Amino acid sequence: MTVVAQMNLVQAINDALKLEMKRDPRVVVLGEDVGRVGGVFRVTQGLWDEFGDERVVDTPLSEGGILGTAIGMALYGLRPVPEIQFADFIYPGYDQIVSELAKMRWRSGGEYSAKMVVRTPVGGGIRGGLYHSQSPESLFIHVAGLKVVCPASPYDAKGLLLAALRDPDPVLFFEPKRIYRAARGDVPEGDYTVELGKARIVREADRTSGEPAVTILAWGAMLYEAVAAAEKAAEQGIESEIVDLRTLWPVDIDTIAASVEKTGRVIVVHEAPKTCGFGAELIALINERCFLSLEAPPVRVAGFDTPFPYTLEMDYLPLAHRILPAIVQTAKY
Amino acid sequence: MARWEFKLPDIGEGVTEGEIVAWHIKPGDVVKEDAPMVEVMTDKATVMITSPRAGKIVETRGEIGTIVVVHGVLVVYEVDGEATAAAPAHTANGHANGNGAPSKSEPAATAVGDIKETLPGMSVSGASAGGSSGASAQVQYFNDKPLATPATRKLARDMNVDLRSVPPTGAQGRVTKTDVEAFAKSPTVAPAAPAAAVAAAPPVAAPGHAPVKISAPTAAQSALEERVPFAGMRRKIAQKMSQSKNTAAHFTFVEECDVGKLKELRARLKPRAEAQGVKLSFLPFIVKAVVAGLKKHPILNTALDETTNELVYRKYYNIGMAASTDAGLMVPVIKDADRKSVLDIARDIERLAADAKSGKAKVEDLQGSTFTITSLGADGGLFATPIINFPEVGILGIHQIKQKPVVRDGQIVVGEVMLLSLSFDHRIVDGHVGAAFAYDVIRWLEDPEKLFLEMV
Repeated sequence: MTVVAQMNLVQAINDALKLEMKRDPRVVVLGEDVGRVGGVFRVTQGLWDEFGDERVVDTPLSEGGILGTAIGMALYGLRPVPEIQFADFIYPGYDQIVSELAKMRWRSGGEYSAKMVVRTPVGGGIRGGLYHSQSPESLFIHVAGLKVVCPASPYDAKGLLLAALRDPDPVLFFEPKRIYRAARGDVPEGDYTVELGKARIVREADRTSGEPAVTILAWGAMLYEAVAAAEKAAEQGIESEIVDLRTLWPVDIDTIAASVEKTGRVIVVHEAPKTCGFGAELIALINERCFLSLEAPPVRVAGFDTPFPYTLEMDYLPLAHRILPAIVQTAKY
Repeated sequence: MARWEFKLPDIGEGVTEGEIVAWHIKPGDVVKEDAPMVEVMTDKATVMITSPRAGKIVETRGEIGTIVVVHGVLVVYEVDGEATAAAPAHTANGHANGNGAPSKSEPAATAVGDIKETLPGMSVSGASAGGSSGASAQVQYFNDKPLATPATRKLARDMNVDLRSVPPTGAQGRVTKTDVEAFAKSPTVAPAAPAAAVAAAPPVAAPGHAPVKISAPTAAQSALEERVPFAGMRRKIAQKMSQSKNTAAHFTFVEECDVGKLKELRARLKPRAEAQGVKLSFLPFIVKAVVAGLKKHPILNTALDETTNELVYRKYYNIGMAASTDAGLMVPVIKDADRKSVLDIARDIERLAADAKSGKAKVEDLQGSTFTITSLGADGGLFATPIINFPEVGILGIHQIKQKPVVRDGQIVVGEVMLLSLSFDHRIVDGHVGAAFAYDVIRWLEDPEKLFLEMV
């Protein structure tokens, strides 16, 4: 019988790291302030006490260095878990990710791999301003050779991280920091995984009435906004089916397509700027797969095409009050 | 020069089509911005559409009497500005046309492979010049490219329905799934004739029976028949009347009203009103009595929201005034009659009636009524059974005042008798409530001074 505990996202991720470090001696955590301090968000708290200097490494402020070092460690046979303190800081290491990490297996004909999980907090809504709020997922989804994960619940966070650590490919693990402590839920103690590449239907649309229903694709912190908007829309008699993508790439297009074929209407919600955001790819895939089922143009409710604003962050984020009108308009199209 | 299409704009209020009443331009004309262009009659009003831009008119689409759907092309212009869509022939570098085979392709030696000077597909020269082939051969509205969502297109394909022949009823002139289904079910699915969709409006069939087909007994007799499109206002009136009769449970209450005192009062006030340039009829007084009655019996000023199963009590009093015009029945609306003086109401009535008669009524004057009065006038008959202006719940028909013998204090005297024919929706208004409303209105009309007590 599995014991279940209430955890938030931070605790669930911490639990997964501890569990895997105990289970697999190859797992090494490195990053800025991940050791003694336990990470700026306390995700790695207690790891240094338990596993020591050799496996929990405080690094200099150099993302290129952190990632380059991690790639070397991985080639050597370790399983590094570098933390980039904010996804906004990842760009100095982008070259390492794009040119080395993503291509190592390909380039060596499968002889070498740089297996690692890069953990980094993403998203806005914490009054972090433009350097602490970005959602750069599409930059990595676009790079062939990477897997990209973004959990919304503590259960999924632990299960997905454990699955990511055991997956043969490098995985970018995006942690929605706005809900680090707000998302709480039951998390089983001990080992379990949530399969990568599988979305989850969070809310099912009841199609018995024959009234228009809308599929909403969301992930991370915006999942909860989608749920809030869907509840409001339900008061107006509009049903929504919400798909939490969980793994952004490889995307679970089968689950998405099944839902869109059922409703004929789809809204993608993401924090990243609209243009060339992941919503664009999702809608392109939907057009390829579900064109003849569409009852309305697919809609993106996304961040604006501006740098992330500090003072206007609640206007920038695609919160429920922006999702609701999109649901109504799409349902009534 | 470029061609530019002007489409019948969506003027709102659920108007989906309009009938061309008059053209003020013809092909070849050069128009300025805002020049009067075409008059279009919708089921709400006749609208003069002015030219949104300057240019030369290449083509006008639709004869007088033609029904155009919203977003259907009305006028084609030739305007200054962006070039036509056709790409000019591209013969740069002297490449051979079409076959994509480069005439010369010498690899340039570089460090990272060979950079070809040209590659397949790079000689864009296939497009024929002069693609703007002038006006299209035949007048088409939505026929060649009907608007529909992919799901509707799939449905039409599966049902073997040609979307070009389905009359669109959706937003922006879209063919909806319901349109396709209705079209497939209709017994007279004709092979898609181009331009058929222009005038083909959904048949006005009462629910529950298939559209009736009328045909002459013999072919020879068909010459004795004339077929006129059942369209525009007439069709809209038919739809509204059927909807009301098929939905509301009509009951009609008729009673006499002796308006001798009202007649005297009006005679006394008439010169004063005239001094202010207002023609004072009986109607403003009747409107005031009705408003007082609606305030006392608020159920008469409701409407049923069938989507939410809620009875909507209107706390405003907009009195519709049925008016016959050459085009057909119209109901201009006296807004906020409770807050207007008798003189103001008289002014409104004059203006609204004149606008309705001349076909210039504005959309906003023809909507929003909460209760309707219909003046049956000299040809009103003994009594009538008015049809409710749905979704209102009551309508008051007023008849001509006639001198009739009435018994007063045991004596037969000459009374100024007006009949009132009130129809109510019995789903919402009970008989005794309707009667109580009627008797209150009658009492105020018989003793108009009492109305002062009710006035705001």
